[in-house]
Amino acid sequence: MLALLVAQNIAFYVIAALIVFGALRVVTCKNLVHAALWLVLVLAGVAAQYILVAAEFVAITQILVYLGAIVVLFLFGIMLTRAKTGTDTDLDHGSGKKIISGVIGLLLLGIMGYALWDEYRGQEIGNLTVQRTAAVSDSIFSTYLLPFEVISVLLLAALIGAIVLARRD
Amino acid sequence: MTFAWDAPSVDFHALAPEIIVAATLVILLLVDAFTGEDQRWASSSIAGIGLLVALIPIASLAYDGTTRIMFGGGYVVDNYALVLKALFLLSGYVVVLLSTNYIAEGDYWEGEYYQMILASVLGMMVMASARDLVSIFVALELLSIPAYMMAAWRKRDLKSDEAGLKYYLMGVFASAVMLYGMSVIYGYTGSTLLADIAPKIGALATSTPLVTLGIVFVVIGFAFKVSAVPFHTWAPDTYEGAPTPVTAFLAVASKAAGFVALLTLLFVGFWPRHDVWEPLIWVLSAATMFVGNFIALRQTNVIRMLAYSGIAQAGYMLAPLAVAGASPEAASQALHSIVIYLVIYAAMNLGAFAVVLAVARKTRSAESDSFGGLFSYAPGLTVCMSIFLFSLAGIPPAAGWFAKLGIFQALASAGTTSGYVLAVIVALNSVIAFAYYGRLMRIMWMEDAPDGDVSPIRVPWSITAALVLTVGVTLVWGVLPGLVTHFTDPITLLAVGR
Repeated sequence: MLALLVAQNIAFYVIAALIVFGALRVVTCKNLVHAALWLVLVLAGVAAQYILVAAEFVAITQILVYLGAIVVLFLFGIMLTRAKTGTDTDLDHGSGKKIISGVIGLLLLGIMGYALWDEYRGQEIGNLTVQRTAAVSDSIFSTYLLPFEVISVLLLAALIGAIVLARRD
Repeated sequence: MTFAWDAPSVDFHALAPEIIVAATLVILLLVDAFTGEDQRWASSSIAGIGLLVALIPIASLAYDGTTRIMFGGGYVVDNYALVLKALFLLSGYVVVLLSTNYIAEGDYWEGEYYQMILASVLGMMVMASARDLVSIFVALELLSIPAYMMAAWRKRDLKSDEAGLKYYLMGVFASAVMLYGMSVIYGYTGSTLLADIAPKIGALATSTPLVTLGIVFVVIGFAFKVSAVPFHTWAPDTYEGAPTPVTAFLAVASKAAGFVALLTLLFVGFWPRHDVWEPLIWVLSAATMFVGNFIALRQTNVIRMLAYSGIAQAGYMLAPLAVAGASPEAASQALHSIVIYLVIYAAMNLGAFAVVLAVARKTRSAESDSFGGLFSYAPGLTVCMSIFLFSLAGIPPAAGWFAKLGIFQALASAGTTSGYVLAVIVALNSVIAFAYYGRLMRIMWMEDAPDGDVSPIRVPWSITAALVLTVGVTLVWGVLPGLVTHFTDPITLLAVGR
């Protein structure tokens, strides 16, 4: 194995462990603001994984959209709608619901994990080819031109509807 | 390394219906911006005209008859797409007719409301032609997101807020599940194009766990959209809380769009793996019929009853898919029977909602009791409602019988035990369903009006027009089913019979 790939593998596991830890903290944390901040770690970790597999465009989009927009939106949402930003003991459901959701979560983890492991065990990624942003833009404006145009109508519709629902009258 | 950008060839004739609907949306936005409050009535007229004008290129494309393929196979305009686009445009038009008075009298943001409907219809039209995972997903979001907001349109009413929020949360959850399935399929096959996915997932004799997982997740995502049991829990609350014309739109157009996506995905993309999705659809279909019908029996609200009956109808429509893989003939029968059912279901269900809207203008309620004695003061509406209920129950001469017959034919043509068992379940459920359709009919014809109020109902012209359209279609197609099959017979989907 190439030295670069060894380093890459080590980085992958370190970042993956951080993502899992962050994700667990998001759901166990009693403070809503802290939970949103732990989410930053998860999303940034995903962006780092994209960079490791040389998908520059997706990585930058992940940072711009998820870290830059969505987490900030969460924080604004919490600030504007809830006076209380400290620890909140009401965030958790009772232990019965915790057990049910825990079982369902483990079940999904088992099924999805098994399916992926079964398919890709023993396979190694060869030399990575950098997925250039120029290639992405070429395909957006040729193969995926129609979905791209449709998304602009979607944004227009979402904008109009959001204004109607959100404005005071 | 150099990059070459090839300008995609765009067939503007094939895209004309979509372009007209999008242009109408923009015109509506501009008209709304530059006219005063007193000219808001123009919005519904412009939206209606736009939807009807978009039918012109559909007719010319159908007359031309060639299958047009764009973007390397990602967008296909064929007979299947044209019939369904016409269905979406006409259902959209009827919903605009139903909305005209309701929205104007309630002062519910008229201009914006029709822009939402147009955006949603546009999403459905794109869905009918989409043959690529990305286009299918984008079309699904375009048809769903305006619908979430329309469900919450009566925003000072808590029930409407609940309807919108439930629909939104469940819908987004379903989208996430579906998207995970799509990403797994893309990761496995390396293509988003359905035509490329089919040979790759069909290369092995049996499915691998990963492919099974991907297919199951995608099907479950659309099972939410068509409100199949056990993913139906949002439907009754959303239908009851949403403004009634929006409920009609969700129950007919939105559900049809979910079926269109399922048909395209299963028949084109996942066809070689029908051994995976057939048992899943079988279980979904049987559960959907039984649960929908049994809960419908207990409803005292007509809209909730129609919601649960709509769930059961989705079960009938899913049934032929469960045996579609038996032979190429069974596949083609299944495809035709579902499209015919969708078309007829749209007419009869929109009609039933039109009557509920007209009656609610007087009684301000959709409880079954408020329909008491309807025959004594509104005989016309009673006859219309009876025709729609007969049609929903599948009794000739209303068109519903022909739709049900198609389902039975498709189930029998497979010639397998599971097909016959499912046919028996459909028959059993049709009998159960007649109990609650019959009860509403008895209330309308036999019982006295609540508190003796027999003043007549003033039905506005737009609802009358919608009723004439839907009754006409339901009766004419019931008597002359050849008129429907004339349109649906040329339908094929690429992989069927391959």
